[in-house]
Amino acid sequence: MDPAEVVEIQPKTSYLSPEELIELRHKDFEVPAGGLKRTQNEGSAAELQELHGALDALRAQLSVPRIERLAGRALATWNKDQQVAEVLRKDGKFENFGHSKQGKLFLEYYEALFLLEVGRLQLEYCGTIVSIEQAYVLLLGESESERFTHYLVYSALSRAGYIVVRHQAVQEAPVPITSADCVWAVLKEKLGNKPVPSKIKESPLFTAAEKRMEDLKQLIIGQKNQSPLEPGPEKASGFHFDTRKRRAQSESKGQSATKRGRVVFAGTSLVDQLQMESPYGKFQEIFQKFDIVRLDTKNYSMDNSPPDSSLQIIFDLHLHNEGFKKRSPKGPTFNVIILPPQAAFPTHDEIFTIQSQQHVNNAQLLVISVSESKQIQAFLYFIS
Amino acid sequence: MDFTFNCKRKRCPYKNYNFAPFPTGEICQGVFNGLSVEVTDAQQGRSLYDNGCYGKGSKSRGGPASGEQDETLLLGLEESCFLAFYLGKLEIKSLSGDTMDWETFLNAAKELNERFLDNLACYLYLKAKNWVIKSGIKFGGDFLIYKESPRLYHASFLVIVQTSDDGDYYQPKNLKGVQRVAETSDKDVLILRVSQPKEITTPEDIQEITVTETIVRRFNYSSFVQSKQH
Repeated sequence: MDPAEVVEIQPKTSYLSPEELIELRHKDFEVPAGGLKRTQNEGSAAELQELHGALDALRAQLSVPRIERLAGRALATWNKDQQVAEVLRKDGKFENFGHSKQGKLFLEYYEALFLLEVGRLQLEYCGTIVSIEQAYVLLLGESESERFTHYLVYSALSRAGYIVVRHQAVQEAPVPITSADCVWAVLKEKLGNKPVPSKIKESPLFTAAEKRMEDLKQLIIGQKNQSPLEPGPEKASGFHFDTRKRRAQSESKGQSATKRGRVVFAGTSLVDQLQMESPYGKFQEIFQKFDIVRLDTKNYSMDNSPPDSSLQIIFDLHLHNEGFKKRSPKGPTFNVIILPPQAAFPTHDEIFTIQSQQHVNNAQLLVISVSESKQIQAFLYFIS
Repeated sequence: MDFTFNCKRKRCPYKNYNFAPFPTGEICQGVFNGLSVEVTDAQQGRSLYDNGCYGKGSKSRGGPASGEQDETLLLGLEESCFLAFYLGKLEIKSLSGDTMDWETFLNAAKELNERFLDNLACYLYLKAKNWVIKSGIKFGGDFLIYKESPRLYHASFLVIVQTSDDGDYYQPKNLKGVQRVAETSDKDVLILRVSQPKEITTPEDIQEITVTETIVRRFNYSSFVQSKQH
């Protein structure tokens, strides 16, 4: 072959040396500090120079090759119909992300986008790699929706150091109803006029407990009627000091603490601390004279009104050092309600309804509001 | 997280301040001047301020302390109503000198503030819990409530009275606004939602009104999680 016909092939991409790769992997850019901020256009030479300097810095910052370890990213493909990303190859820790279904790991749109943003995921759609910019449209949708606010909250809380998972309605573990529960229910009905919950009423133990209580009641009433007629044996033998060890009265209080779950009743004031203090006791009579405006104690928990659709618990927050497991999560530390911009804050009654639906879990309700400027702020509610 | 309330003691010279929550002794005389109830007698004014911190000196920031001869004690609408018709320690006269009864006073007060009854119900509700209640206007709310006395403690709560038909304070920008104001001065925002009263004709009828309490507090989620990581 004629040596003149040999075309030397120039590779289009140049390769970086290992040293360059390492150096560029974590390249920090410092924007040159430019003294005082300008507030007005002057058109002076100094201003022009500053402007050029700033532009150059920006260009330099943007034109640095992005170096990332290709193998250091997980691979997932976006399933548009189910709106989930199926993980094809895991990389790094995935304990706090995704959910498994039929042996496959799926990421929700917010998880996928978060991992994408922090550079831990390569997302593919129809066989091509999705850029981050494309992913925003693909994952959050083109039209405005709650997805964006939810993602904002998800990413902010994740970066703050929480484990954020979709809210799981705690299935009320079918706690076996003991006869003690039945006795408590009967007592509450008789003394507090509270209806017996249907699940306790259905228990076979309930009728027995009710019957026994009734028998005891009759016994006590009967005793009362008898006592004036015939003096008790103690009286007959004179006063006898009981030297047996008696049970401390306070012990009985422990029982209420062992009650399962949390019973939500409206009606404890948050501002009555001063009633414990000295001047109150001294003037108690006068205070009681005008203590006529009461706390609203109607028991909302009895009417099972359908939940207000606009207020829903979206996420559960777990703390990292509390042994979070995807499979069997313990109760979360917080339940998150997200308020989109402009949405009014929940009222006492709305919070109460949600709290009474939480039943068993003792998580605190966290109301997170996303403002128009996309800032998020969390609020805690305390209600009477 | 259990709720604990803010209660910051003032650095103050009144170390052994001896207080009673109510004025004792004779019935004070006040004149309704169209805006507030004015107690002209200096002795009575001092007794009202010293025992329960009612009112405000006309020439002072707090109680009558200017020392001038013509300083009077000005009582707010709710507190004068409380002192007159629930405690029986004040007699309110109109400018023409007639004694005002419950109904005339109520009508006059309602003309100044159409939500007077709701405010009064909240006033009574808090007063029965031994709070010292002052106007909350300087923090953008209805009341400020203090432990014992404004001389000894900073206010613990900024109280906002809400009727069931206005949701103004649940608008995010409003609630966040008062939140921030209250927070910088170590207070909590307490929203008292008042049930719609029926016809109220006597002072006792106010027991038809019930309230619910809501405290909303800003929460710093990132410092919370950091505090738990050790």
